[in-house]
Amino acid sequence: MEAFTDAKAWKAGNHLLVRAGGYVCALPLGSVRRVVRALPVHALPGARAELRGLAEFAGEPMPVLDLARLVQAPPGALPAQPVTVVVWAGPPDARSMVGLAADAALEMADVSPGTMVGGGGGLVRGEVGIGGEVVRVLDLEALGREP
Amino acid sequence: MSRDRRIPTGGRSRPSAAPQRDSDSAMMGLLLVTGSVLAGFLLLSAAVGTGGPRWPSFVFLFFGGAAATAYGFRVYPYFRKLERRLPEESERWLKLENRLIGAASHLGAGDLVRASEQTRGLPERLARMAEGASESLSGLAREIQDRSIEVASAADSVNQTASDLAAGSSEQAASVVQITAAMEELARTAAQIADNAARQASLAARAETSGDAGSAAVHEAVAGVEEVQKRIQAISSRADALGTRSKEIYRVLDLITEIAQETHILSLNAAIEAFAAGAEGRRFSVVAEEVRRLAQRAQESVASVRHLLDEFAGSIRATIVATEEGSKEANRVFERSRAAAAAIGDLRRASGDTSRVARQISMATHQQNAASDEVVMTLREVSQVVQRMTGGLKDLSGTADRLNSLGLNIQLLAQSFHLASPRSLKHLVEDWAKQIERAAGAGEMEGVLDSLVQRVAFVEMAYFVDTSGYTVTLCYNRAITGGRQLLGASGAREFDMTQRPWYRAVAREQRTALTPPYESLQNGETCFTVGAPVLNREGSFIGVLAVDINVNGWTRI
Repeated sequence: MEAFTDAKAWKAGNHLLVRAGGYVCALPLGSVRRVVRALPVHALPGARAELRGLAEFAGEPMPVLDLARLVQAPPGALPAQPVTVVVWAGPPDARSMVGLAADAALEMADVSPGTMVGGGGGLVRGEVGIGGEVVRVLDLEALGREP
Repeated sequence: MSRDRRIPTGGRSRPSAAPQRDSDSAMMGLLLVTGSVLAGFLLLSAAVGTGGPRWPSFVFLFFGGAAATAYGFRVYPYFRKLERRLPEESERWLKLENRLIGAASHLGAGDLVRASEQTRGLPERLARMAEGASESLSGLAREIQDRSIEVASAADSVNQTASDLAAGSSEQAASVVQITAAMEELARTAAQIADNAARQASLAARAETSGDAGSAAVHEAVAGVEEVQKRIQAISSRADALGTRSKEIYRVLDLITEIAQETHILSLNAAIEAFAAGAEGRRFSVVAEEVRRLAQRAQESVASVRHLLDEFAGSIRATIVATEEGSKEANRVFERSRAAAAAIGDLRRASGDTSRVARQISMATHQQNAASDEVVMTLREVSQVVQRMTGGLKDLSGTADRLNSLGLNIQLLAQSFHLASPRSLKHLVEDWAKQIERAAGAGEMEGVLDSLVQRVAFVEMAYFVDTSGYTVTLCYNRAITGGRQLLGASGAREFDMTQRPWYRAVAREQRTALTPPYESLQNGETCFTVGAPVLNREGSFIGVLAVDINVNGWTRI
């Protein structure tokens, strides 16, 4: 953890901070469509563990993924206000609407790419320090590339 | 071998010249008759010559001659015959006299057996008379022996009984003393019980009074507890109402929390929309952020209120629990107070009963004390009577002792008779003497004597002493000595027995004799010795067989 910046200094945020298990993740606001209370899902038999099931959003079926499993977060406290964050996943030319099940939607924050450390081209682009916590910055375009 | 003893004859001897003198006397009688007839004839002839007739002289001569002739042929031979038989008759009468003297001598010595044997050669009537007298005397002596044994035995029993009674009486006296002491102790204890009962009655009366006060106090306590119970129930009702209100507040807080959460999500979505609007939405994003902060503050306030309300609700629940516990405790106190009131009532009644019973016990114990004093006085009188009875029994025991001694003396006197009876010790010892006389030597004699001694329970020991005073054999009754031999044969042989009174008496009289009672060297008990002469095959005295008789064993037969 080399470079943590003070998130309080960023008044206009470009990322949405959410809690998933024991991690705090930053979602780029350009890819976030809506934050709603946790949607009821219909589980799909034989699906991967990350896929909680299908939910209805705006009259359309939408897959809902378990964000904590996606970032392989350790178990956290029992969620008091679980939410589903509706995002655009995948590359810009083939993006699709996906629901991410998170424990709570926290606040907006600015994340500068120069302050990020780590990252390896996967779902997690890198890590920044905000408010004394390690925040994992996600690349939602990479979500569509996931096998 | 004959057991006939030498019989004293009284110094009488047979006259050997008496028949010759009797024969001369018969001849002299014939000559005197003839001479007297001739002298009478001559005197008559001389008288006739002086003038009287002559025929009376011839008649006198004729009858005188006839008388002399008759005497010569009839009287003289008879006298001659008598003179010839006189020595034989004299010898026979001398023998009879000797037998009579012998029988009288045996009778005088108490030997009725030999006295009876001596009378067998007497003429029939005399023999019958003597036999009858001997049998009567023998029966009398046997009766005396038997009765004396019974007297001694009875005296022994009386003595034993008196001793037992005296011992029992002594124990009884001791027991009476102990009972008296126990009764005195009982009287003292009864007095203490009476005092204690009186004190207990007083205490019970005080307890009864205290019970009344306690009962009133407990009733007041019950009333107070009832009031407390009512107050607690009122507090509990109010706490329940507060709990109900708290739940309503919780519902309001939940509603506020939900609105705040919705507001928070709404502000986030507004910020998302503002970001999507680009530069035009920047100012809106500020508003959205402010809304989000308000929502967050609202949530924080709700959390604070919820925290305070939790504490308040916790206090209310604690109050409810405390009031419930207090109510339960008040109920328990109430029940206990009622039970205590009932117990105090029972205690008060029990104290009253105890007081009455204690007074009764005190009165009864006083009566018991008086009765105990009377019993103690009676027991003291009984003790004196028992002590006098003990003294009397001791006197009786002494009298029985003297009676026993007297019976023993009578028995010994009766045993001085030699009877043909199994209870006659002289007869027994003489029979033993006859048996050892037939023994071939000292060894056989000891075997015979030992077998005889072991068969008779009252014989302590028997020994044969020869004329030199040497103890040839000595046999112990192992049943009496228990196999011990306190005075061994070698020890006995160290004494010169010829100087012992019993030996000297037997040797002098050649007759069985008894000694006075003396203390036995074997076991310390009273005994006496019966000695009998022992003769050889020629009838000569060769020693004395002595048999020691245990008096206790003898009187028990």
